[in-house]
Amino acid sequence: MEKIEITKGHDIRISGIPNSESYTHIMPKKISISPKSFRNVKPKLLVAEGEVVKIGSPLFYDKTKTKVRFASPAAGKIANIKFGPRRVIENIEIEIDGSEALKNDSLQGKELSSIKRDEALQFILKSNLFHFFRERPFNQIPNPDKIPRDIFISGYNTAPLSVDLVRLIGDNHKVFQKGLSLVSKLTDGKTFFSSKEKFNFKDVENILINGPHPAGNIGIQVHHIKPLKPNEFIWTINAQHVLTLGKLFEKGIYDPEIIVSIGGSGAIAPYTAKTISGVPILSLIENQNLNKKNIRIVSGDVLTGKNVSEEGYIDFYDSTLSLINDNVDRPFLGMLSIGTSSTKYSLTRVFFNMKEVLFNFTTAQNGELRPIVPLNTWEKVLPMDIFPNELYRAILAKDIDEMEKLGIWECDDEDFALCSFSCPSKIDVGEVIRDGLDLIYLEG
Amino acid sequence: MQWLRNIFDNLAPMFEKNGKLERFHPLFEATDTILFSTDERTESGPHIRDNIDIKRVMILVVLSLVPCYVFGAINIGYQESLTFGFDANWQRNLISGLYKIVPILAVTFATGAFWEILFAIVRKHSISEGFLVTCALIPLTLPATIPLWQVAVGTSFGIVIGKEIFGGVGMNIFNPALTTRAFLYFTYPAQISGDKVWAIAPDGYSGATALNIPAGQIDSDAVTLLNEASVNTVFDFSWFNMFMGWIPGSIGETNKILIILAAIFLIYTGITSWRIMLGSVIGLVLTALLTNLFAPYSSNAMLTIPPHYHLVMGSFLFGTVFMATEPVTSAHTEIGKWYYGFFIGMLTVIIRSINPAYPEGIMLAILLMNAFAPLIDYFVIKQNIKKRMLRYAQ
Repeated sequence: MEKIEITKGHDIRISGIPNSESYTHIMPKKISISPKSFRNVKPKLLVAEGEVVKIGSPLFYDKTKTKVRFASPAAGKIANIKFGPRRVIENIEIEIDGSEALKNDSLQGKELSSIKRDEALQFILKSNLFHFFRERPFNQIPNPDKIPRDIFISGYNTAPLSVDLVRLIGDNHKVFQKGLSLVSKLTDGKTFFSSKEKFNFKDVENILINGPHPAGNIGIQVHHIKPLKPNEFIWTINAQHVLTLGKLFEKGIYDPEIIVSIGGSGAIAPYTAKTISGVPILSLIENQNLNKKNIRIVSGDVLTGKNVSEEGYIDFYDSTLSLINDNVDRPFLGMLSIGTSSTKYSLTRVFFNMKEVLFNFTTAQNGELRPIVPLNTWEKVLPMDIFPNELYRAILAKDIDEMEKLGIWECDDEDFALCSFSCPSKIDVGEVIRDGLDLIYLEG
Repeated sequence: MQWLRNIFDNLAPMFEKNGKLERFHPLFEATDTILFSTDERTESGPHIRDNIDIKRVMILVVLSLVPCYVFGAINIGYQESLTFGFDANWQRNLISGLYKIVPILAVTFATGAFWEILFAIVRKHSISEGFLVTCALIPLTLPATIPLWQVAVGTSFGIVIGKEIFGGVGMNIFNPALTTRAFLYFTYPAQISGDKVWAIAPDGYSGATALNIPAGQIDSDAVTLLNEASVNTVFDFSWFNMFMGWIPGSIGETNKILIILAAIFLIYTGITSWRIMLGSVIGLVLTALLTNLFAPYSSNAMLTIPPHYHLVMGSFLFGTVFMATEPVTSAHTEIGKWYYGFFIGMLTVIIRSINPAYPEGIMLAILLMNAFAPLIDYFVIKQNIKKRMLRYAQ
C-alpha cells in the first residue's frame, strides 16, 4: 500500500467542533437543488412548477452534454422554480411528500465483477446521478462519452469542521465497497482511494495518506499520487456519493441521505445531522438559537464555503454548515497587542499565542488588502511542488503559456484556500487561481 | 478609548466618497486603522483569516530596531566623551546621543510620511505601513554627524525613486532605505565617508571606523593594524569591543549582540528569512577564508582580515539582518534565498578587499543582489518548470 505523508499545511483549530459520535436525524419539509452548483453546466428544465416528481426523476439536463440529467433528491411537488437575472435558474424547490422513488433495475442481481464499463455508466446515467462525478482540471461536470485517465476518491476529510469520513466509511464498509467497485468500472486506468485508515478495499488502489489540511483534498492527492498533465483529465467523486452509488447498486433506487456537520464559533450545540441532499439551512439551525445574533452562515467549510442566508439551502457538494460570529471589534492599538492564545490566531509567531487551543474565529479580515509582501506564508501551507507566488503573477498577467509551465493544470482553488487564510496581505489566492482556470477554459 | 472611537466615527463621513475631505481618505484611513485596527470583514473565500497583517509585520520590525537606537544613542555620547577626553556615565551619554538622533529621526519620518501621504492621495492608494520600517532604518545607517538637510534629501530620494515610482511597497526593486544611503554616499561623500564623520569629536580629530584602518594599507596585517590603532588612539578595536559595539560607526550598526538578538526575534516570529542571513554569513566566511589564502601573494592589507573580524567590522550584520532580508527586494524562492544571501556575503568581502575606496561593501553588495534577485528566482523556477516538462513528456 502506498503511503503518503503530507508535512506542509495546517489544521485550523476552530471552535465548535461537531460531535461525530452520533447522528441527529433531520427530515426537512422541502429541499432545493440549484443548477449553479454544477460548474460549466447549461441547464434546461425538464419539469414545471406544480408537477409531482419522484426521488430520482430528472429535473433538468445539461444542454452541452445532453446525457447528463440531474435527479430529484426528493419526492413531492415542485413548489417553486426561482429565476435570476436573464432567466438563469437559481434553484428548484420541492415540497416533500412521501418517498416514492424511481427504480432502475438494469443491474439488479448482477455480480459486480461481471459488469462492463458501459453497463455501469449507463446504469448511473439512467439513474440521473452522473453529476456525482466531477472532472479535474476545472472541477466541472465531466463528459460521459470520454474516459478519464483515473478516478480519485478521498476518504479523508481534513477541512475544518467537516464530517468524519473515516468513521462513516468504516460504519458502511460493505456498501461502500460496492460503490467503489461500481465507480472503478468507469475508467480504464486506476481508481485511487486515499484515507488515513487502512481499509484495503478491493478493485481500487488503496493509498494511506496522513497530514494536516489540505491533505484530504483531491487536488493534493492527485498531485502526490499521479499529477495531471495538460489535456489529461481525471474524475473524482465524494466519498458520501460513493456510498449513495453503493446503495443504488444494491436496491436500484437513489437514497439521497447525506451526513452534514454543523459547527463553528457561532454554533451553540455543534452536531452531525443525518438528513437529505439539498436540506434547508433553517432545518439545520433550528436548535442553534441564532435569532438576533450576528452570525454568518456558510454552506461548506470556512475556507471554501459560500455565504448563504437562513432561507438558503446546503449546496449539492457540501456536507458542512459553518456558523461564524460576524461581530468584529476594533481594539485600540491592536497592532501593538501582545496577543494571547484566545485573542489572536496566527500560523506565524508574531503574537504571544503559545497554547494550541480552539479559537473563536470571527469573520474579521484582520487587516487590509495590501500588495504582496512575500513572507513565504503561502509556500508554508501548500503541499505541492508549485510556486504559488509566480503562478499568481502569471495569472494576473493572463499569460496562459506561463501558467501551464508553472503547473496550473494540477491546481484547484480549494487547495489554495489556506494560502489566502495565512496571507498577511489578505489576498484571496484561491480566487485568482480560479480566474486562471476559467481563462484557460474559455480559451479552450 | 470609546471617546476617541466616537470622534473617528463622527469624522468618518467627511472622508467617505462625496465627503468634503474625500481626497484625504487614505490619511484618515491610515490613522484610523493604526489606532483601532480595521473592521473589514471577509467577503468570500476563506471566511476566517489569520491575525497577521502587514501592519503587525512592519511594527515588529520597527520594534526590533528600538534597542539599536538606544545603544546607538549611548554610543554616540560615549565616543564623544572618548574624543573630548572626559568621563561620563551612560545617562549623560544617552541624553547626548538622543540629542543627535532625535532630530535625524524626526526629519526622516517627516520627510518619509510627507512623500508616502502625497503619493497615496495622488495615486489614490492606501498608505502603506512599509514606510515606517524604511524611515526607522534610514537613521541607523547614517553617521550621527550628518547634516539634517541631507537626511531630508536622501530620504526623499529613497522613498520616491527607490519605491514610489515603481508603485509603492511590494513593487520596488531596490531596498528604499539602502537607496537613501547609497544616494547620500555618492552625492555627499564628505559627510558619510572617510575618517572624520563617525564620531562627534574636536575639529581635525580622526575617528575612523574599523574598516577604514586597514583600508588602503600596504604590506601589513589587518589585525595588527587594528591592535596598533587601539593603542595609538582612544578607540578600542579589539574583536570583543567591536562585537560589543563601543566603536565609531553609523548610528545603529555597531552593537552586534543587539543585531543578533533582533535577528533571532525576527526569525522566531517568522517575519524574516534565516536562509538569507545564514547564506550571507556562509558566503562571507568562505570568501574571507579565500582572501586570507591569497593574502601572502598580495600587498593589500584588507585580504588579511580573518572571517571572524569581517563579521564584526562595519555594517555587515546590520545589513544582512535588516536590509538583505527585506522580503520584496530579496529573492522570493526558498532555494533562491540561499544563493541571494551567499552572494551578498561573498560580494561584501570582495568589495571590501578589492576596492578600498568603498570599505563598506555590504551596502553595494545588497543593492547589486537586489537587482539580481529576480534572475536567481528565474533560474530556480526554471528548474521546477524543467522537471514538470520532463514529466509531461513521459
